[in-house]
Amino acid sequence: MTDNNVIVAKGIVKTYDDSGVPVHAVRGIDYTLEKGEFTAIIGPSGSGKTTFLNVLAGLDTPTEGKVWLSGNLISDMSGKELSDFRRDHIGFIFQAYNLFPVLTVEENVEYVMLLQGVPHAERHNRVMNILEKVGIAEYAGRLPMQLSGGQQQRVAVARAMVSRPSLVIADEPTANLDSKTSGALLDMMRQLNEDTGMTFLFSTHDEIVMRRARKIVILRDGKIDGKASPEEIK
Amino acid sequence: MFIRLVKFAWKIICRNRRRTVITGLAVGLGLGSMIFTEALMQGMSAHMIDTTTESWMGDAQIHRNGFLDTRNINLIIKRPDSTLSMLELDSTVTSCTPRILSPASATSTTELKPVTLIGVDIETDPEVTMLEAAIDSGYYLSGDSTELIIGYKLALDLNAGLGDVIVITVAQAGSGLSSSMFFVSGICHFGNDNLDRYSAFVNLSAAGRMLGIQGEIHEIAVKFPQAEMGADTSLGFWNKFSVFGNTALGWPDLAPQIGSLLSMVDVSMSIMAAILFGLVVFGIVNSLFMSVYERMYEFGVMKAVGTRTGTITVMVILEAFWIAVISTVIGIAIGLLIIWITSKTGINFGDMEVSGVTINKPIFPVLTLGRVWIYPLSTLILTTAAGIYPGIHAGRLNPAEAMRKSL
Repeated sequence: MTDNNVIVAKGIVKTYDDSGVPVHAVRGIDYTLEKGEFTAIIGPSGSGKTTFLNVLAGLDTPTEGKVWLSGNLISDMSGKELSDFRRDHIGFIFQAYNLFPVLTVEENVEYVMLLQGVPHAERHNRVMNILEKVGIAEYAGRLPMQLSGGQQQRVAVARAMVSRPSLVIADEPTANLDSKTSGALLDMMRQLNEDTGMTFLFSTHDEIVMRRARKIVILRDGKIDGKASPEEIK
Repeated sequence: MFIRLVKFAWKIICRNRRRTVITGLAVGLGLGSMIFTEALMQGMSAHMIDTTTESWMGDAQIHRNGFLDTRNINLIIKRPDSTLSMLELDSTVTSCTPRILSPASATSTTELKPVTLIGVDIETDPEVTMLEAAIDSGYYLSGDSTELIIGYKLALDLNAGLGDVIVITVAQAGSGLSSSMFFVSGICHFGNDNLDRYSAFVNLSAAGRMLGIQGEIHEIAVKFPQAEMGADTSLGFWNKFSVFGNTALGWPDLAPQIGSLLSMVDVSMSIMAAILFGLVVFGIVNSLFMSVYERMYEFGVMKAVGTRTGTITVMVILEAFWIAVISTVIGIAIGLLIIWITSKTGINFGDMEVSGVTINKPIFPVLTLGRVWIYPLSTLILTTAAGIYPGIHAGRLNPAEAMRKSL
């Protein structure tokens, strides 16, 4: 393990047993994500992408195996430490946007900074800066339901990045967007990756996302089935 | 952060306004009914105390030790004149009246009934009792030694009317029997079975003569400025007049059934409140759990982005707090509205008899802030506390599972 590694996962197994019938979502994965990567995890539905991302982000506990986030072993952290770690180091983008419907765009974006205890003036400045960057500053006072899907996902991107995390994890970020909006969103995220050096890890089966990724990890039946470049996927 | 959470919680409960209003109304109706019932019970208690003390008993009475237990006519009040003088000078006493009491039989031309013969001082009695006001027909005692007032029920039992002859027979203080003939000069209606069926009122001197205890008395009824003083054990009156072998007692001791009834009302209200608040707590828990399950994904996201378990728990409790505030406001408004409406008309119980007291007048609810505040405060606290369990549940959700299950 080197200082350049954001995530190191060893022997990850995740089995669900909700209905008495074990479902093996992830079947033994070793994986390393380095700083500054813009990597897509691809695979068909049910291949274990979301489960794998959840385990890597510390949202779910693996049945077997260990995960280190920025050198910290997740299983050694208390619930509070893990919450604080996610708050300070990881930005999340979810496929259904998942903005808080009762909060305005500005309130949604500043939420994580509120948890961090960032002072009000700084929060406001950073929110307006990131909203400028993602091109929706004029909607700061609107509620999510007053925005289009693409605009809502831009808010989600802004929320994920405003606290300046070292890693952004996005689960099917373009699943509910049309191809034009998806392309624009990915271009914007890639630009942010290049400008800030933040590490991005996506799960997707969207070709638009794959084409813009720098690295691609192929997941099939809960196992890594290979790695490829976007050109090879094409 | 906390202020933002409070605002966040308010926005969340405003999101599903219909559910919030219905929940608030359900809890508010319960609270309103408790406030109104409490006020009604206070009104009924005040009516019963007033009826009991104002009609005949007085707020306190003085007897010779042992008289109340034995009704022995030989147990006359010691030093009656000095006791009455002291009472007249006592600043806590509004008025007082002496009485003679004796078991007796009343005989008409056709019937014989057991009664209590009561000798009344016509000068002071109207300042203490409602006997004069309770006379339905005939007239009050004027000092004539043959005058007799009986209750309307006793009149019916004796088949006697105004002007009829009734012979009263008593056992004398020394020995032997004494009978005297009286004319029914008045028929009274108290709304109290004991007074209407089993009492015969004559002039004090006539009763003293019959019993052979002229100048002596068995009882002094005392009136205070407020009936509540009769229940105030810290009053110096009790020690001051429990002397010379006499005992001074207030209405709670003289009419223990009233005290028991008031205690029973308190217990009943407590049980009602416990049941109601139990329902409220379960209702709120249910409502909040519905809200938590509906927002499972949101809680998953909140946890994913780093919201601590405790923060989510506090937020759900704050949602419960806002529901509590809304419910309390609605409840107080409903309670006050019903009290205001019924205070205009009163509630008629149609001569219902409780513990020997007929509630023959409309009952007006009495809002006693010293007692009624407990219900809104309990609603506020318990409804807020009802958020703890759903809050802990929401806080402990596994973020990945919450998002997976709600998809």
